[in-house]
Amino acid sequence: MLETINLSKSFKGKKVVQDLNLYLADGESVGLLGPNGAGKSTTISMISTLIKPTSGRITMNGVNAIAKPGEIRSVSGVVPQELALYQELSAYENLKFFGSIYKLRGKELEKAIQQALEFVGLDDRKKDLVKTYSGGMKRRLNIAAALLHRPKILILDEPTVGIDPQSRNHILEAVRALNQTDGTTILYTSHYMEEVEQLCDRLYIMDHGKVIAAGTKDELLSILSTENKIKVELNKLDEAFVEQVKTIEGVHKTEVTELQLKIIAAKGSNLISKLVHLTEQHQIQLLHFQTETPSLEDVFLHLTGRTLRD
Amino acid sequence: MRSFIKKDLLIFLRDWKELLTVLLLPIILVIVLNFAFAGLFDSGDEVSMDLQLAVVNQDNETEAMEQLKERLVRDAAFEEQEANAILEAAGEIQPVQLLSDYLESDDVKEWVTVHHLEEKAAAEKVKEGELDGMLVIPQGYTADSLYASFAGEPPTTSLIYKIEEETTDSSALQQFIQGFIEQLNYQFAMQEITSGTEIEADLPEGGMEDIGAAHDFTMTQYFTIALGGLFALFVVATVAMKTGVEIRDQVFNRILLANSHPMRFLIGKMASTICLVVLQIIFVLLVSHFLMAVFPDRSIAFWGGVFVMIVLLALVLSGLAAIYTALLLRMNSVDAANGIFMFFTLLFGTLGGGFVPIYMLPEWLQQIGEWTPNGLFLSILTEWVQFEKLSSIFQPSMFMIGYFLLFTFIGLALFPKRGRAQ
Ligand SMILES: Nc1ncnc2c1ncn2[C@@H]1O[C@H](COP(=O)(O)OP(=O)(O)O)[C@@H](O)[C@H]1O
Ligand SMILES: [Mg+2]
Repeated sequence: MLETINLSKSFKGKKVVQDLNLYLADGESVGLLGPNGAGKSTTISMISTLIKPTSGRITMNGVNAIAKPGEIRSVSGVVPQELALYQELSAYENLKFFGSIYKLRGKELEKAIQQALEFVGLDDRKKDLVKTYSGGMKRRLNIAAALLHRPKILILDEPTVGIDPQSRNHILEAVRALNQTDGTTILYTSHYMEEVEQLCDRLYIMDHGKVIAAGTKDELLSILSTENKIKVELNKLDEAFVEQVKTIEGVHKTEVTELQLKIIAAKGSNLISKLVHLTEQHQIQLLHFQTETPSLEDVFLHLTGRTLRD
Repeated sequence: MRSFIKKDLLIFLRDWKELLTVLLLPIILVIVLNFAFAGLFDSGDEVSMDLQLAVVNQDNETEAMEQLKERLVRDAAFEEQEANAILEAAGEIQPVQLLSDYLESDDVKEWVTVHHLEEKAAAEKVKEGELDGMLVIPQGYTADSLYASFAGEPPTTSLIYKIEEETTDSSALQQFIQGFIEQLNYQFAMQEITSGTEIEADLPEGGMEDIGAAHDFTMTQYFTIALGGLFALFVVATVAMKTGVEIRDQVFNRILLANSHPMRFLIGKMASTICLVVLQIIFVLLVSHFLMAVFPDRSIAFWGGVFVMIVLLALVLSGLAAIYTALLLRMNSVDAANGIFMFFTLLFGTLGGGFVPIYMLPEWLQQIGEWTPNGLFLSILTEWVQFEKLSSIFQPSMFMIGYFLLFTFIGLALFPKRGRAQ
């Protein structure tokens, strides 16, 4: 099991990660969700032993991994956020080099390369130089390079940023397969809530260098169990009306998009009848309305007052 | 280790623009420069120079012997008898005569016309541009230079050479006169003078040759070697830049994460630098040779020596690559690091005679230039081409090995222990 205890990192006095406590049990799939600049990559760099924390501890099966980075390095594969590939080499040559630095040789190396290539669906393009690849293909190769030595823990830092939906699905399916058939432990960071929701058993939500919530998806959603989310569509919308909605008892938040109004309010606040009443007063027609179950996105909104993609 | 070298070589060889630059550009430059300079130095009849030189002799050679005897007895405390013996020997030297013989010799006569004039008349004509320059033999010159050579002291009077305007012609003239003066002093200094020994001063031959050279050292050879060395510096800078890309693209992090010792990365860089530099210089030398017969009729032993020198230069440059790699891992900005590497490339290139022929630089710069890796390489090969004597290149070769060890040591010392400073 991998664990961090009060892990912190400052760059030139600026705190980027603060008192992070996180654990990864064997075979788990854990997500690290947060907007850009939350400190996810910095956390990943510390866990993968590339940079030293300013304070705090990292242990691997109880062994201090800061003093002995080999403990983590030997069992983990890291897929960095930025592509870490030789653009001037082919996919095959890249994998051959990265495999050889893991001390794979001869037939064993060839087999590992072949499996990795097939796994990410690049077998037919393996002879082409990486610089001729599409963004999605490069991302897939970036993952393949971390799999050659069959790591027990796979750490992925935003592996799907800026790629086509097809490659994205391929990657998500591949990661899921690694976790469920091979039992690989996964640490997956993203700012896409859907990905983490799909893939992960458990997740940490990070913002401004701190974990602001952690748990299984249901546990996190239960944060919002006392709230309702209502979406209404109207034939017209004016300021005065929205202001009045905000004053209704139990309303926490409103969000306006064109003729749509989203309202988050405490459960049992008798919102709907009050809303209908208000529309009549303002001579607004209520075209459609719907109550929604809250998503992780809403949890984040609730906790930070911002959306993930701000 | 093999995989490290292999990937570096592959990456370098895939960059065809860079490859053309370091392989073909030096050869093209050698060809171009060869043509440009051929007219100036090799074939006198194409570009004929006719320099007009005034010689003003203010010295009186008959008085000179008296003056010499007086000074020998008075200042150097020679016995009367010894002094007479020396005078007899000295009577045969006559520096002024040597000078006019030199100016009248067939080689020099071709492009210098001598006018014997009084100082005032000469000065006027030089000023009017009728003459290119004047050479004044000051009073007491004979006595003084002879005295200096016998007493083993530096002479106090010297030939005065004046030109009105610096032109190609007049500065060429100056170079030859200067050459003569140095040659004469050199001859005097070299010969141990004992009474009864025949004293003879060799006259220098015109042209670019050194005395006693077994082979000429031609312009084409100079350019081939100097440009080969210069572009080897570019190879190292390119290896360093590609290393910068590896670090920026974080592939270096993968190497760290694989728990592969970062020192393998450094040593891989050194080894691939050696391979690339050796291949590049051999290519430039051989292709230039086959195109222009740069080193005609040389023995296998000669080529063997050249190869050893190339390997030595490659070793030194691999040490430089080690320093560059260590710096890249230490510095935050890859661009700033690249700027530093370019600066050193240009600095070494200039000082080492890669951009401007080294003898056109001032004396003190030439001396510094010989301390750059490529300048040292050039000077060793200059010796080797002319004399092909192991003894004359042994010491500078040791300097090369010294450089290799020093650079490698600095590279290792600068190399961050964890692979990367954070
Ligand atoms: N090497 C560094 N030096 C200074 N600041 C850094 C460095 N790396 C990251 N940061 C800062 O730390 C914060 C978190 O960055 P990062 O961990 O990359 O976030 P995320 O991966 O969640 O987008 C950002 O504000 C970023 O500017
Ligand atoms: Mg990031």
